[in-house]
Amino acid sequence: MRTHPLTATIVAMIVTLASLSFSTQPAGADETCLSPYTTSLIKGQEKYLQVWTLGMKGVGDESDKLVTIDVDPESKTFGKVVNTVSVGGRGEAHHMGFTDDRKYIWAGRLDDSKIFIFDVGTDPSKPKLVNTISDFDKKTGYVGPHTFYALPGRMLVGALSNTKDHGGVTGLAVYNNAGEFLSAHPMPTTDGGDGYGYDIGINPRKNALLTSSFTGWNNYMMDFGTLVNDKEAMKNFGATMVMWNLKSLKPDTVFSVPGAPLEIRWSLNVAAGDDWAITASALTSQLWLIKRDENGKWQATDVAAIGDPSKIPLPVDISIAADGKSLWVNTFMDGKTRLFDISNPEKPVQVYEKKTGSQVNMVSQSWDGKRVYVTTSLLANWDKKGDDNEQFLKAFEWDGKDLVEKFEVDFLKEKLGRAHHMKFTGGKLSPTNYPTGTTDPAEASTSN
Amino acid sequence: MSATQSGGLPLPAPGTYSLDRIQSVPFSVVREGNETSPRLLSSYTTGKLTLLTFFYSHCTDPQGCPLAWAAFEKVRERIKADPELHNQVQLVFFSFDPQHDTPETLQLFADLYAADADVAPWYFITSWSNAFLEPTLRSFGQEISAQTDADGGERVVIDHLVKVFLIDRQGWVREIYTTAFLDPEVILGDIQTLLLEESKTNLGN
Repeated sequence: MRTHPLTATIVAMIVTLASLSFSTQPAGADETCLSPYTTSLIKGQEKYLQVWTLGMKGVGDESDKLVTIDVDPESKTFGKVVNTVSVGGRGEAHHMGFTDDRKYIWAGRLDDSKIFIFDVGTDPSKPKLVNTISDFDKKTGYVGPHTFYALPGRMLVGALSNTKDHGGVTGLAVYNNAGEFLSAHPMPTTDGGDGYGYDIGINPRKNALLTSSFTGWNNYMMDFGTLVNDKEAMKNFGATMVMWNLKSLKPDTVFSVPGAPLEIRWSLNVAAGDDWAITASALTSQLWLIKRDENGKWQATDVAAIGDPSKIPLPVDISIAADGKSLWVNTFMDGKTRLFDISNPEKPVQVYEKKTGSQVNMVSQSWDGKRVYVTTSLLANWDKKGDDNEQFLKAFEWDGKDLVEKFEVDFLKEKLGRAHHMKFTGGKLSPTNYPTGTTDPAEASTSN
Repeated sequence: MSATQSGGLPLPAPGTYSLDRIQSVPFSVVREGNETSPRLLSSYTTGKLTLLTFFYSHCTDPQGCPLAWAAFEKVRERIKADPELHNQVQLVFFSFDPQHDTPETLQLFADLYAADADVAPWYFITSWSNAFLEPTLRSFGQEISAQTDADGGERVVIDHLVKVFLIDRQGWVREIYTTAFLDPEVILGDIQTLLLEESKTNLGN
C-alpha cells in the first residue's frame, strides 16, 4: 500500500482552512428553479424530463402517472415517451420536487392529498414508485400537498388547504427523506396573515424562507366557470406572502400581495450580490419584487404588469434565468409564453412573447437558457374545454430571438392525460450515487 | 459571514425554536485512529452532543472537507472559550476513504487535537471496506462519487457535498448542515438549543 504524505496533507489542509470563509455557492448547473440544497446537479444536457400527469376520463388508463420523455438530442428516442408509471386513480396530480440527494421525486395530489415517491436516481429512464404517503391530511391537518422543497435530509411540503373546512388556511409540513412526518408549521393568520399557502423559496444566505398563497380545496376543485361567477368564492384567494425565519421556521413578516401570488424565484446571481426574489400574482397579473429597501427592511412591490391585467391573462408559472437577468412567464388564458428582461428587477420589461398553445401552464428552462419546456394543464377542473383543451409537452430552443419548437408530445394522442409539472433528470446514479463507470472509494487505488 | 451580517434575517436566540428528530444514527461498525478493534458508531454519537461529518484527507476542494474542518475548528474554539460547553460536545470526522486514510493518518490527526480532549474530544474514525461504508453513507444521505485522475490515477478524487450532522445524546440527528448553511454561529446556536431542551426536560422530570 502506498504511504500517505501525512505532513504535506495536514499542512495543506491547515493552510486552506485558514483562508476559508463561510460563503455559500448557488447551484452551478441544472434547471434553474431547484431548492438550493439539491445535489447531484446535471452539468450539461438533461437526459429525461419527468412529467407529473393528471389522468383524464376516457384517455388511456385514466390514471395519474409519471411520464418520462427522452430529451437528449443524441438519443435514438429523442422526443419520445420512454416510460410511464401509473399510480392509480385521479387525485389532482400537481407538483413535484427532488429530495436533496436528487435520487427521489416526491409528487403530490391536491384532491386526495396522497404523496408518491419515485426513485429516479437508479434509472431515470424507468422511475419506480417506492413509497406512497397516504396519511398526509391525518398527520398534518392540511390538505393538498403542493410544493416539495428539499432541505438537507428532509422535505418541506407546502400545502394549500386544511381538513376542517377545506378552505385556504393551511401550513407547511416537514418530513424526513424516509417519508416520516416530523413537524407542522401553520401559515400565519395574525399580523396581516391570511393563512393561505402555495410556493416555497429559500435563500439560505439570508436565513430567509418565502411563501406565497393561492386558494383552498373548495376553490381549486370547483369548475372554473362556476368559480369565476361565484363572488363569495372569488374572495377566497390568497393575498399575502410571508417571509419566515428559516432557522426557526417561524413567520417574520407578512407582505400584502393581492391576487394570489404563486411561484417564487430567488435570483441565482449571488456573484452579483443579488438578494431578491420575484413572483407573479395570478389574478391581478403583476410581477412582484421582494427585496430589502434602503433601510434594510424586506418589502414586496409590484414592479410590472403581465399583459393586460384587465383581461386576466392568468400568469401561472415563471422560470428565472441562471444569471437573474430574464424571466419566462406563462399566461394560461391566452396561451402565451412571455420573456421579461429583469436586469433591473425594479423595472421588468417584456421583450418577447409567443403563443405556444391554446392554454399553457408550466415553463422550465435549462441552466444555459437554451432549452425551454412548456406544458399545458393548470387544474383538471380549470383547464379549457373542447378543442382548446390541448395537452402537450413542447420543447423549444431559445436562440436569443425566438422560441424554435424542437418537438411536441401530444398527451392526448399518446393517451397520457393532462401534462403538468416537469423535472429534469440526468444519467443513472448507482445505489450510493457513485456515477456509473467510476470506482467507489473503498475499491479505488492510487497505485496502478 | 452570518445571515445577520449579510443583511438577512437574524438567527433566532437559542432555545426559542426546536429541532426535529430527523433520523436516528444508523448501526455501523467503525475503527478509531490506529486502534485495531472494531467499535460501534453509536459509541461516538451518544452520551454527548455530537458534530459528525464525513471526509477524506486528500480533499482540497475549498468547498469540501477543508470547509468542514474550518467550521469544526471554530466551533471547538468557541466551546473551549465557554466553560458551560465543556465536555458537552464531541467532534467526529468519519473518513470514507479507508484505503488512503490509514490508521497512522487518522492517529496523527487525532494527536493534533489530543490536548483538549477533556473539553471537546475530536475523534477520527473510518471503516474497513465498502461493504461497511455503503449502508452507513446511504443511511446518512451522504452522496459521494469517486474517480481517479484522468492522467493515470495518481490521486483519487471523491466528489461529495459536505454534510455536517448535529446529533443529540440519544443518537438522533437533529440538524444537517451543508455548504449552503455551514455557519459556526448557527451550529453553536443549535448546540445551545439542544442543551436548553435537555435542561427543560430535566426540570420537567
